[in-house]
Amino acid sequence: MAFLELNAVTKDFGGLRANDHVSFSLEKGELVGLIGPNGAGKTTLFNCISGLHPITSGRIFFDGEEITTMKAYDVARRGMARTFQVYVASGDLTVEENVMVGCFMHTRSRTKAREKARDILKELKLHTLSESRVKELPVAAQKRVIMATALGTKPKLLLLDEVAAGLNPSEIEEIMTSIRHVHDDLGVTVMLIEHVMELVMKVSARVIVLDYGKLIADGSPEQVSRDRRVIKAYLGERFAAELAPEIQDNGTRMNTDERG
Amino acid sequence: MEILFGAIVSGLLLGMVIALVALGLTIIWGMMDIVNFAHGEFLMLGMYTGLLTAQAVGMDPLFTLPVAALVGFVLGLLCYAGFVKYLLRGPLVAQLLGTFGLMLFLRNLALLVFGSEDRALHSGILVGKSFELGLGIIIPATKLAAAILSVLSFLAVWLLMTRTKLGKALTATALNGQGARYMGIPTEWMNSLAWGIGGATVTVAGALIVNFWAVNPFVGLLFTMIAFAVVALGGFGSVSGAFFAGLVVGLIMEIPGIWDFFTYITDSTWMAHVPMTSFKYMWIYVAYFVIMVVRPRGLFGWKQ
Amino acid sequence: MEAIKNAVDFSDFPRLDLIIAGTLAALFLAFPLFPHSSFAMSTMIQFLMFSIYGMGWNTIGGYGGQVDLGKAQYVGIGAYTTAVMLIRWDIPFWVSMPIGVCFSVIWSFIIGYPLFRLKGHYFAIATIATSLVLKDIFEVWDFVGAARGLGISPIKYQPPDFLRLIFKEDAYYYYVILGFFFLGILYLNWFRKSRLGFQLRCIKDNEDIARSLGINAHWAKIKTYAIATGFVSVVGSFHACYVKNIEPEDTMSLDISILIALMAMLGGAGSLWGPVIGAGILIPLKSYLKEWLGAAAGLVGIDLILYGIIIMVISAFEPRGIWGIVERVRRRRKR
Repeated sequence: MAFLELNAVTKDFGGLRANDHVSFSLEKGELVGLIGPNGAGKTTLFNCISGLHPITSGRIFFDGEEITTMKAYDVARRGMARTFQVYVASGDLTVEENVMVGCFMHTRSRTKAREKARDILKELKLHTLSESRVKELPVAAQKRVIMATALGTKPKLLLLDEVAAGLNPSEIEEIMTSIRHVHDDLGVTVMLIEHVMELVMKVSARVIVLDYGKLIADGSPEQVSRDRRVIKAYLGERFAAELAPEIQDNGTRMNTDERG
Repeated sequence: MEILFGAIVSGLLLGMVIALVALGLTIIWGMMDIVNFAHGEFLMLGMYTGLLTAQAVGMDPLFTLPVAALVGFVLGLLCYAGFVKYLLRGPLVAQLLGTFGLMLFLRNLALLVFGSEDRALHSGILVGKSFELGLGIIIPATKLAAAILSVLSFLAVWLLMTRTKLGKALTATALNGQGARYMGIPTEWMNSLAWGIGGATVTVAGALIVNFWAVNPFVGLLFTMIAFAVVALGGFGSVSGAFFAGLVVGLIMEIPGIWDFFTYITDSTWMAHVPMTSFKYMWIYVAYFVIMVVRPRGLFGWKQ
Repeated sequence: MEAIKNAVDFSDFPRLDLIIAGTLAALFLAFPLFPHSSFAMSTMIQFLMFSIYGMGWNTIGGYGGQVDLGKAQYVGIGAYTTAVMLIRWDIPFWVSMPIGVCFSVIWSFIIGYPLFRLKGHYFAIATIATSLVLKDIFEVWDFVGAARGLGISPIKYQPPDFLRLIFKEDAYYYYVILGFFFLGILYLNWFRKSRLGFQLRCIKDNEDIARSLGINAHWAKIKTYAIATGFVSVVGSFHACYVKNIEPEDTMSLDISILIALMAMLGGAGSLWGPVIGAGILIPLKSYLKEWLGAAAGLVGIDLILYGIIIMVISAFEPRGIWGIVERVRRRRKR
């Protein structure tokens, strides 16, 4: 079985269907991007996977176990970490203390937590800021603190939610380096939601696209960027017709439900 | 059998009045998510207003309602504009404690001005008279009149909230303050108005209650808790919910009577030993707790 | 042990704070040796008691962000356990107090599990509801003296009795409560940097993140609530031996619960010194207001009117409490 497997995951909010029979699987060690226009259901999907929202139907498997009905803290303890767009663990605490909150998942001792936190901060080159209060830091640094905190939980799978939002090009480069480091050197499987296309396309080996809750494309960045459905989702039918006049049939994996 | 029916009817009548008490609270709560611990104090002041106006002017207590409404409206407005408005900016702790401070202030002000003895109504066209409802049920005329007037007041407010432009503006502000502002609705005015209306309804309820319940400066807390239970059961922000929940809570308050009935027909001694009368208010607190845990949305509410 | 080292580690406070704290600690220790009126002594004891109540509240209310307005029920459990055990079975304080804590903690787990499904106002009101329920039960329960309450007559014992905590002179009581006070501060100092302390602060700021970091928020809150309960119960037991006359109306009323929350809020919820500062201001204020104004001819309740006004003013204009002001000023100075 795959490392992370989603089987027809559907999430309804009353009358609104935020995720519609989404199925895909991830192997260990992959670096996958999750994109789609605003409101496509990406963050909701993360919430479902990480256990924050109960799903309406479908099944989710992680590392050999079914986690469909598991609560968020249980899922986290099994090695899945998830970051949030804007929030750190606690704005009032210092950078080091924030990362410690993550480290406390695996230890009761504050000395050990502090040690581990310091190691992580050094890995991500944040150790110079360790005593600063997070809410006083610039956004780019906060984003890296968010990642560092998640790393404290020793994740096998890291779900990053718009970690590059609001960053300028050089900051995006920094974050990209950090992500690559986490994936390549620390061996963490990564899935990231992004709107900043250059980041996603450069960093991911594979990209999944959501639109109106449905999975509409799943392939390499090159394939996906030329997929007619993806272009239509972002730019509308007219441009899709212009830029990709033929129906794509170049090996892009389709959501099986769509074919029927 | 009469005991049972009597208790039930009495409970329902009381419930109608209680519904009115809770109405103000649910409007304010629905509007701006603030808990008013001084709600019962407004009621208490309404009771005094009703009593004193009736005694001073010599008119029937039931005609004091407009006066009570006016007093309540002004009081609500003042409290909002002069105080509550500032509370809303602060953390939750401050909001809760702030209205509690208001409660202390009003309660002890009343103590200072009115003294601590119970006061009750002794004259009026309905005092001392009772209706026979058949089946051997006798109800005090004051209670019946109070209930009827409560229902009428309730209807008036309900119509106001649902049929008038003003009412709809209030509801809009409650549902989405930002959105309402973009639509040009002056939200600050709406908030003040909500407090005014909320204050007026509860003082009117007080003026009605004083017809069959003696007043002293300390009755506030009990009614605050009763109102909370009603609002929790009916759903925060729901006007119709407040009505039905009021009836239920009114019945809960008649539990001693119902208990007595069952003690009597089952002829059981252990039941007779339970001091149910002392517990009658306790059930309200238990009810609140159970409702919130089991069904926090209440019966009809749209806010959690 | 690491825990003790952590408890006495105040190094993250600025030097000035530690100097002031140390001076105050010394003054507190020396207080009974200076000439003082019995009124001042009883005010000091009250101050220490309420500081501890406030410190306990602060764990779940300040660091945890869940406003609990029902602490009085644990004062009652602690007080009554000690009183009943002493009167009926002559059990000394040092045995009955821990038992009281056990009862309190058990009760806190029982109601805590459903209670913490609620948040914000709803939680606060539910805490009031449970406290009032317990108070109503105590008011009709003959075993604990119902509404009349219980009285401990010191004549039966030979003061100074250290086992049963019966003394003739207040100074003994003073040192006992001062001891608890210092222990409380040390415990809180350990707590705020402990795993649970950090987790709580994360929960308070953003519960979803906490959960995503593997924290079982529900359970963490319940544990903290139990800790707060323990604090309150200990002082409740002390209260029984000190006041020697307890009844539900003055040990378990809503006013007491609110007062406890107020201590912490005024001083600064979520900070170590907050409750102490809050108690330091409110308790003497309350005592002296009562002394001067309450006794004034015919002006019943005016002290409480003023008290209410003070609460209103603080809530509206400085809700983060005094410590909040201090921190704000300091931060501005830094820039």
